[in-house]
Amino acid sequence: MIIEVKDLVKAYSDTTVVNIQSLHVAAGETIGLVGNNGAGKTTLFRMLLDLVRPTDGVVTSKSIPVAHNDAWKYYTGSHLDEGFLIDYLTPEEYFKFIGDLHGLSTGDIQERLQPFMDLFNGEILQQRKYIRDFSKGNQKKVGIAAAALSHPELLILDEPFANLDPSSQIRLKNLLRSLHEQHGMTLLISSHDLSHVTEVCERIVILEKGQIVQDMQTTQDTLQALEAYFTV
Amino acid sequence: MFGTLLNLQWKQARRSPAYEKSLVVKIILGFFIIYFALIFIALGFFSHKILAEVYPDQSPVASFNSFLLFYFLIDLVSRFMLQDLPVLAIQPFLHLPVKRNKLVHFVLLRSIPSVFNLLMLLVFVPFMLRAVVPVHGIGIALVWLASLLLLTFINNFILIYFKRQLTSNPKITLLLALVVGGLMLLDYLQVLSLRQVSMVAFGALLQQPWLIILPLLMLVGVYLLNYRFLMQHLYPEEIYVKRVATVEGSDMAFLNKFGDTGKLIALELKLIWRHKRPKSMVMISAFLLFYGLIFYTNKVYLEGWGMLIFVGIFVTGAPMFNYGQFVPAWQSAHYDALLTRPISTYQYVKAKYLMFVPSILLVTVLTLPYALFGTKVLLINLASCVFNIGVNSIVVLYFAALNKERLDLSNGSAFNWQGVGASKFVMMLPMVLGPVAIFLPFSFMDIPQWGIFALAFTGALGIVFHRQLLRKMAKRLEDRKYTLAAGYRQH
Repeated sequence: MIIEVKDLVKAYSDTTVVNIQSLHVAAGETIGLVGNNGAGKTTLFRMLLDLVRPTDGVVTSKSIPVAHNDAWKYYTGSHLDEGFLIDYLTPEEYFKFIGDLHGLSTGDIQERLQPFMDLFNGEILQQRKYIRDFSKGNQKKVGIAAAALSHPELLILDEPFANLDPSSQIRLKNLLRSLHEQHGMTLLISSHDLSHVTEVCERIVILEKGQIVQDMQTTQDTLQALEAYFTV
Repeated sequence: MFGTLLNLQWKQARRSPAYEKSLVVKIILGFFIIYFALIFIALGFFSHKILAEVYPDQSPVASFNSFLLFYFLIDLVSRFMLQDLPVLAIQPFLHLPVKRNKLVHFVLLRSIPSVFNLLMLLVFVPFMLRAVVPVHGIGIALVWLASLLLLTFINNFILIYFKRQLTSNPKITLLLALVVGGLMLLDYLQVLSLRQVSMVAFGALLQQPWLIILPLLMLVGVYLLNYRFLMQHLYPEEIYVKRVATVEGSDMAFLNKFGDTGKLIALELKLIWRHKRPKSMVMISAFLLFYGLIFYTNKVYLEGWGMLIFVGIFVTGAPMFNYGQFVPAWQSAHYDALLTRPISTYQYVKAKYLMFVPSILLVTVLTLPYALFGTKVLLINLASCVFNIGVNSIVVLYFAALNKERLDLSNGSAFNWQGVGASKFVMMLPMVLGPVAIFLPFSFMDIPQWGIFALAFTGALGIVFHRQLLRKMAKRLEDRKYTLAAGYRQH
């Protein structure tokens, strides 16, 4: 199991934001996490990445607890928000920095960025700008590319489709699928776009008020089922 | 309308995170503010006596007047370096039915109540009361004071106008500083005496108070200049001096030799160079090199030991203290990025250490000329250098783990209290008192030289065991990482 969550609880004073008895993510799975605002998606991701201390319970990655451990960082790529970008670097410098940490040569980096060229749409590289001066959408593209740069076994993305234009959303969808198919990458993404997430992911987990309320394999009827679920 | 805008400004200041400090910090800050205010007031109160002693053949008022032009020139230069443009968020008002000229007047007038404009009143008012009023009467004295205020405001608006045009070009500032320095030199060589001019000009004002019309007209002039410029450029992208210059990425190749730690250092150097706050902090650190002059030129201090140790620690460690107090908060905007990447905390801490050490060595070399004040000064500074490297660097890292406030890097660092917590003040105590405590027993035994050696020896011990100490600091940072990361995520 690439990720195993057991009795995971995060509570702030009196409100419980995440309460998950059990969640298993096998290598090679693609999982979409859906849920309304405040359902605890981002907090769950932060606990998977050891950025928030769980009130109770443990997260293990390949049977090793993620807390105070560096091992998982070598095979896990992630992009949750702008806090994951070093925004005073140019995109090239940022990719170089991340690549260096994973021992990639400049050639490797170029080769691995090649599939992203469509998504970048000529607006990311050689722009002579710092990341902080890019638009939100383009910052997101930089973050996703950096997260996938090392060809991690596990890729965690928080709302990757948000802030992207329609063409970019479709390109990203195809890109994520091919990363999964070509490198067997395990995907864990959250999204508010039900149709995109059902197209990319083979398994959908619905989170509500911090708890898993449904966990299902994607079929032809999943999108309808989800729409029915979220219609109030 | 003006009232509403003022009210909103007040709310903005009141509700800014910088204002929400703990009571302890407020008390300490209040103490510092009162302390410095008292120094300025005392300066104003006694300067007529000092001036009468130094220049016995002219009246204190005349002597005071003779320095005023230089004062205003220096004021202008330091504004170029330190003062930020008043950033009133007028963007939310631009699409509302508010008259444009009101907004512009507000932006401009809002810049007047600031530390830069009102600080010197603390000197001018006591001096006026003690020296000007008895000679010239209260009416003329008030005109004199008003002219000084007007000149201050003129400087204020000159700065705003030029800084808007030129962004903050360090070359211009340097040029200006050189011109002022040159004028001072000419004055000293008695080629062209600006002091004479100043004395005559302000003397004339005291005789013929209607002359105040001149600064008044000048003020109206620069104000209108600003007003017209802003009226023509009332677009957010033109007002906010945020020009996206084209940049070239760079690779600090020589640092690659140091492996991942070297890359972290390169990253940090770029951080310093590409943000306003750390950059202005480097500049302030450069000025602090001259801090020693205040003490070394005074015989009382030069004969003692304790004060010199304090100065030595401070002078050789200033850049480290300045920079280190905000470790790791400098990286608060991307702390999550560092935590999820394969970077060990030990590497991270070591990178900081390896930035501290060269900064201390560099400053120590730059301040070697202080040896001219005696070998004692040299010995103390060298010992302080070793102590700073061995012990104080670790103390800085120890307190670093207490910084959990997000740091805003986009503003200058002068008078910037954003992100300053109580730990910064607490941190100074062991760093300064520690060395004095080591030295004192030897001083009591009347072998002060041995005290200096003990200082260096303690530092050397710290250097020998730096790996173990850094591991401990890494452990500490690791233990506190959730608290830090959560704090940094709060905007």
